[in-house]
Amino acid sequence: MLLFPAGVLVVYGILFAVMPEKASIGLKSSGNIILNMLVPLSLVFILMLALNLFLKPAQIVKFFGRGASIKGVILSAVAGIISTGPIYAWYPLLKDLREKGAANSFLAIFLGNRAVKPFLLPIMISYFGWIYVLILTVFTVLGSIVVGYFVGALVNVENNLPSRSK
Amino acid sequence: MKIAITADGADLEAKVAQKFGISKYLVIIDLDSGDFEAVPNPGASAQRGAGIQAVMLTISKDVKTVLTGWCSPAVRHQLATNGIEVISGLSGTVRELVEKYRKGDLQKQAEAEVESAARRRRIDRGTLLQAAESSARQFASLLPILISVILLIGLFNAFVSKELIASILSGTPVLDTLWGACFGSIVAGNPINSYVIGGELLKHDVSLFAVTALIITWVTVGLVQLPAEIAALGRKFALVRNAISFVLFTGVAVLIVVVFNLIMGYLC
Repeated sequence: MLLFPAGVLVVYGILFAVMPEKASIGLKSSGNIILNMLVPLSLVFILMLALNLFLKPAQIVKFFGRGASIKGVILSAVAGIISTGPIYAWYPLLKDLREKGAANSFLAIFLGNRAVKPFLLPIMISYFGWIYVLILTVFTVLGSIVVGYFVGALVNVENNLPSRSK
Repeated sequence: MKIAITADGADLEAKVAQKFGISKYLVIIDLDSGDFEAVPNPGASAQRGAGIQAVMLTISKDVKTVLTGWCSPAVRHQLATNGIEVISGLSGTVRELVEKYRKGDLQKQAEAEVESAARRRRIDRGTLLQAAESSARQFASLLPILISVILLIGLFNAFVSKELIASILSGTPVLDTLWGACFGSIVAGNPINSYVIGGELLKHDVSLFAVTALIITWVTVGLVQLPAEIAALGRKFALVRNAISFVLFTGVAVLIVVVFNLIMGYLC
């Protein structure tokens, strides 16, 4: 995870040695971006705190993939939206849920809706405005549900279980 | 109604396990039918997160009450928020506890525990502290990559001119969208990075089509994490999901910009 930041620092180090003027312009430009982000980032933290206070991972598990058709779709979408942390942390749980019978469509809806992150909205709105963010969010949710429908229709549950001996 | 008893063994004569999170088995008893099943606790061998795994197992089995030796306040809270009551401080065999529970001997103890838990909640600042800690960790984990991305954008601003970008991106919506979608599908990570990159690209006159495609495919399509997705959910699922997401969300990106332009045109 720290390889990327270290790489960026090395690039800056080299640039300051060979092209100090350009490197200074780059650093100043980055500083301006960070300054502009301070207020939205503070809001991000407050929203994160609120979500952590009121939503628990166990509740997500309870929501996920339950019920038939419409209810299951909505709950899977909500679970995707309120889930936090890197996707790698979620794969073992998704695998487990699949083995317990969660539908492929619900898993796909969950993964698609991870693109909607309520606590990051302040940053997004600061860059793009709320009208754009609203349209993007609505279309992302609807698009994820359509993807879920196609995945459910195209992927057969029996033939895609990973590493299961026949 | 189902109750779960933490146990050291897989039968009714097994002793009650003293710790909920790391007990070897959860013996689930259906009080209506008298049936029982002993489920191995995935948390028993876990080095971290044992409690949460046992909680998930309990929830998935539709259990209403947990009988155990001891249960941490955090786990008890998780169970309570999911409507599961915990009666702790118990010992003996699974069979003995079932009998006591049927007679109602344990319920009085449960009522007393609920009352004291409610009292604790009123004065408990632990939950707030826990949430603050968890948010701080989450927030701190965002920062190294986010700051690195911003530092790179700074260099991008210093070295790349609008003319250069215009020469790469054609300006036609379809091609711009495809460029954005390809970039967004290859890279991965927290979506906050895509907002910052997209926002800064807009300042370089990159079209909203390309930026929207970049943002929407950043999370929905993931080539970098494809091997992990295949390992967890199967090759066919992962390939089909990513392929459909790429095609559909590329189209959706165009649609979003068209709708946005229509609304802005109407408002202005």
